[in-house]
Amino acid sequence: MSLSEKNSVVFAYESSVHSTNVLLSLDDQRKQDILCDVTILVEDQRFRAHRAVLAACSSYFLSRIVGQVDADLIITLPEEVTLKGFSPLLQFAYTAKLVLNKDNVSEVCKCAEFLGVHNIEESCFQFLKFKFLDFKSDQQECPRKKCCTQRCQETSPKIASVDDEDLEIDDEAEELLEKGYMQTPDTKLCKDEENAKLSPAVQDNANQTCDPVHVERGGVSSLSSQCPKYRKFQKAFGNDKVHNLETNSSIKDIQVPPIATFLEKDISDNDVIQKAQECVPMQLVSKREETQVKMEEREEDMEKKEESKRDSVTQNVSCPVEKMDFAAFPAHSAAPHGLNSVSFLHTYEQYDNLNFSGMQNNTVLAEKTLSGTGVGNDKIESQDDTPLKVDLSTREATNITSAGDRSSVEREVAEHLAQGFWSDIYSTDQMHLPPAVPKERLEPVYSGKKSECPWLGIRISESPEPCSQRTFTTLNSVNCPFMSNLSTEGGSNSSEISSGDYAQGQQQEQCPYNYLITLGEDSETDTEGDSESCSAREQECEVKLPFNAQRIISLSRNDFQSFLKMHKLTPEQLDCIHDIRRRSKNRIAAQRCRKRKLDCIQNLESEIEKLQNEKENLLKERNHILSTLGETKQNLTGLCQQVCKEAALSHEQIQILAKYSSSDCPLSFLFPERERTTPSNSELAIPACVESADGLSGVTSTNEQSSCYQCVKSVSDATYDQAQELHPVSVRTFEKTSLVEQCGQSGGITDFCQQMTDKCTTDE
Amino acid sequence: MEPAAKGGFVLGNLAEVVERVFGFLPTKALLRAACVCRLWRECARRILRARQRVSWVSALEPGPAGGHALVHALARELEQVHVLPQTVLYIADAETFGGHEEWHEQKKARKRNSRETAIALEKLLPKRCQVLGLVTPGVVVTPMGSSSNQPLEIEEGEAGFALLFPKIDGVKIHTFHFSKDVKNRVFDESKFAEAGLKNNPDLRVVLLFGYNSWKSGATRFLHQIVNPLNEKSIILAGGQVESFTSLISENNSVQPGDACGVVGLAFSGPQIQSATVLLDQDVADERTAEAAMQRLKAANIPEHNTIGFMFACVGRGYRHYKTKRNMEADAFRKFFPNVPLFGFFGHGEIGCDRIVTGNFVLRECNDIKDDLLHGYTTVMTLIHLGSTKANQV
Repeated sequence: MSLSEKNSVVFAYESSVHSTNVLLSLDDQRKQDILCDVTILVEDQRFRAHRAVLAACSSYFLSRIVGQVDADLIITLPEEVTLKGFSPLLQFAYTAKLVLNKDNVSEVCKCAEFLGVHNIEESCFQFLKFKFLDFKSDQQECPRKKCCTQRCQETSPKIASVDDEDLEIDDEAEELLEKGYMQTPDTKLCKDEENAKLSPAVQDNANQTCDPVHVERGGVSSLSSQCPKYRKFQKAFGNDKVHNLETNSSIKDIQVPPIATFLEKDISDNDVIQKAQECVPMQLVSKREETQVKMEEREEDMEKKEESKRDSVTQNVSCPVEKMDFAAFPAHSAAPHGLNSVSFLHTYEQYDNLNFSGMQNNTVLAEKTLSGTGVGNDKIESQDDTPLKVDLSTREATNITSAGDRSSVEREVAEHLAQGFWSDIYSTDQMHLPPAVPKERLEPVYSGKKSECPWLGIRISESPEPCSQRTFTTLNSVNCPFMSNLSTEGGSNSSEISSGDYAQGQQQEQCPYNYLITLGEDSETDTEGDSESCSAREQECEVKLPFNAQRIISLSRNDFQSFLKMHKLTPEQLDCIHDIRRRSKNRIAAQRCRKRKLDCIQNLESEIEKLQNEKENLLKERNHILSTLGETKQNLTGLCQQVCKEAALSHEQIQILAKYSSSDCPLSFLFPERERTTPSNSELAIPACVESADGLSGVTSTNEQSSCYQCVKSVSDATYDQAQELHPVSVRTFEKTSLVEQCGQSGGITDFCQQMTDKCTTDE
Repeated sequence: MEPAAKGGFVLGNLAEVVERVFGFLPTKALLRAACVCRLWRECARRILRARQRVSWVSALEPGPAGGHALVHALARELEQVHVLPQTVLYIADAETFGGHEEWHEQKKARKRNSRETAIALEKLLPKRCQVLGLVTPGVVVTPMGSSSNQPLEIEEGEAGFALLFPKIDGVKIHTFHFSKDVKNRVFDESKFAEAGLKNNPDLRVVLLFGYNSWKSGATRFLHQIVNPLNEKSIILAGGQVESFTSLISENNSVQPGDACGVVGLAFSGPQIQSATVLLDQDVADERTAEAAMQRLKAANIPEHNTIGFMFACVGRGYRHYKTKRNMEADAFRKFFPNVPLFGFFGHGEIGCDRIVTGNFVLRECNDIKDDLLHGYTTVMTLIHLGSTKANQV
């Protein structure tokens, strides 16, 4: 083969991993949104991707992308392509892996067909379809049932959680009541105790009745339509709760209303109450009638009703149970209000979140009745602290503020409260209160009532002596509604106390939601300044929205989407909601990130400390080792000298020994010393060697002769060749000198060298 | 003598004619003819090389006394087969006793001479042939002749089959045998590579057969083998058999019955396509069985040059299908009219739902790593050995 032929040979390098790796890095790019130049919109979901990849993978995208020139292309896929079907396909385009399961296989198949995705073989879809079909047909006897139960299981935990909460509260309330009643012998005691005992059962019953109803519904309704009904159910449950409040002294009745509300939602609440009324003990009939009146009024006119309520509040000063009714009613009245205006969820949330609904209502009302701001405020007051009739006038005076102000103040106060404001009060209360009964009640009430703190807090901040007044000893306390309630009752009648207790217990039922929400708000305000401004903005948006931001944030992605679908929202609202959600998510992420970083820094700091310690230790050890090494060397030198002396080694023998011993063996040091002692009668051929040896001896013994090194070095350098030939010792010396090289200055004493070489040659 | 001379000239010189004639000869005759002259030898070699279709010998009825039916059938039929077997997988029934005394005695007798039977079988086969023999409680076999014959599930009685794999271009079939070594607890990875189970990108299908699975540690050992294989994109199928009788490569060193182990066949080759389905306990009637077959059909494996394997549990069969016999084999035949089906009833199955072709792999991605060993199931596997061009049946 000629040279030219050899040069022209072509080699091909082929990588078997290249294609995979390219795809992997493209996928990474997609995940990090690098170089992505197209956005795919599928069912409101955005996917970023690369045009080239999509076009290469799908004929549909090829046809749609080719010819497009705008920088940021947005492709909205038609309805045939679903989110479920598309996202696995996009993943396939970037990873060559298609994840299929029972749910998505048919949709992926459809989408793949529609999009003309390459390299996906139909047979795998077929195979899987048959597999899943097979699975289904295997259990054909009970597929529906299973489905239903599954659905119910899906929904029931939610319900259960709601129920649990209620139950817990009820239990607490009952415990309190029982305690209270035991300690306050009373004519009403037995009845109330009975009620208390009944209530769990009733609640259970209610729950049980709810469940079947819901199961039925789940069975009937399809999964998609289930959500609204679920909301309805929740709403119904909320109603139930309200009924609980209304019929607090006769809980037996509850059994009727909840079921009624579940089964016949269409039936107005009045009817329900009428039904309940039939079972109401005689003593409560009058109250019930009143409530009924109120209900009717509410249906007639909101404002009127509120006025009337306010009136009734002022009128029925002595009756705590009715006060409770009032407490319940504003919330309840808010329900239809929201129902009319927005949706079930709204109402649900208002039940959920009395804080919020109250505030919202207030704003709405304030807007509606500009003239009657006092009414609106009153209403809120009655809602928040109904029994606070004693101080209505003063509160009106203090609290004639706009709703907006209130909401802003409320936030501040929430922070205050978060700092254990109430715990202080507990202690003072406990100190102040000799009777065990109210004390025991107070604590849970307070813990439960934390949610209402914003309002209370306002009052507290506005009133001169909040703490001292909120005790039982000072019977005409102003600021704590329940306290005041209790105090008046305590003064007047023990039976009233008990019912008041009950009212408190009932009141507690509203709390958990609020409690949670206020907590959430607190945590929000905990974050840094920018986030606070965010939350303020959220607050702004919130007012416009039919539901609160917390909900937007807390919902899972799927729920959120369905949630959005359920409401007809304007684009601004949608933007706002998305904005809120995104911000909150970002905030959470940022918090996490910050925390991680701090952790990381902490870890690193501790590591640095550790390493420094280690370094110190190592240095110490090194010093120690060096000192021991020196000792050992000395010992060894001494031993060697001794050995040499004892053996009476001849000079040559020592030379040979030195030659074969290692460089740091003391023998080699020994040798020059010996050498020095016998320079005259030795038969050394080269004086230069002697001289150099002389220099070397300096190395071992002292450093005084450092000037000598230079000459030794240069000499040895120059005489190396000859010395090597002449005598092994010279080699030895050279080696030694080369060791000393670094300390020797390279100042060339060339003359001396020359002299020495001359000497050597002449000697030779 | 003129025509005879002419005939001699034609047959001695014209390769085309000779090849045409030879094309009708079975392998053994062809090999004999190859000894005649150089031309014939060349022709015979070419023809043999072209015969790449899997062939099989099956024995359904008890043969004449003395020796297993399969031995007789093989001795008889090897004269007729058109392939030169390179790898042979034979499965014979283990004669599980069904309460009949004579069977019991017969079994005893068979046990004594199962080794002899195996040797007799191996003697019939070409010397350089890899032989893997299994003994199982029941046998699934397609009668000889056409591949569209009705496969039979023979759960009782003497039966057996031998699958004869010729040398197929682009397909490598390895036999392997891993036995649990009591002394050496660490599994020897080099044996994996030796069997083509490791560093073999073309590996597509592994048929695994565990034996002596009742021994302690057998399952663990099987897992040890199966798990690394399961991570790959290959089809795994097989089951637990009563015992294995022959494996020529290790004939001397192995004493079956002493330890548990795994034997098997590894099919590698880029053109192999395969799919497998698992019929679990729920598959208990015609409809569900056919649904499973439909699924297998949907895998869209080409049907020519394809073999079906069916590895079922002894607990299945006609008892499982409410005394309907041959249920699964019939369902298979319904959907795959031209694929011969072979298999056995064993003590446990290895398999899952999976498709492996050259282009894609479809498999379950489970968090639980091993989902391959089953009981009371049936594993149906299709192995397509590539589209050979010159198929001569």
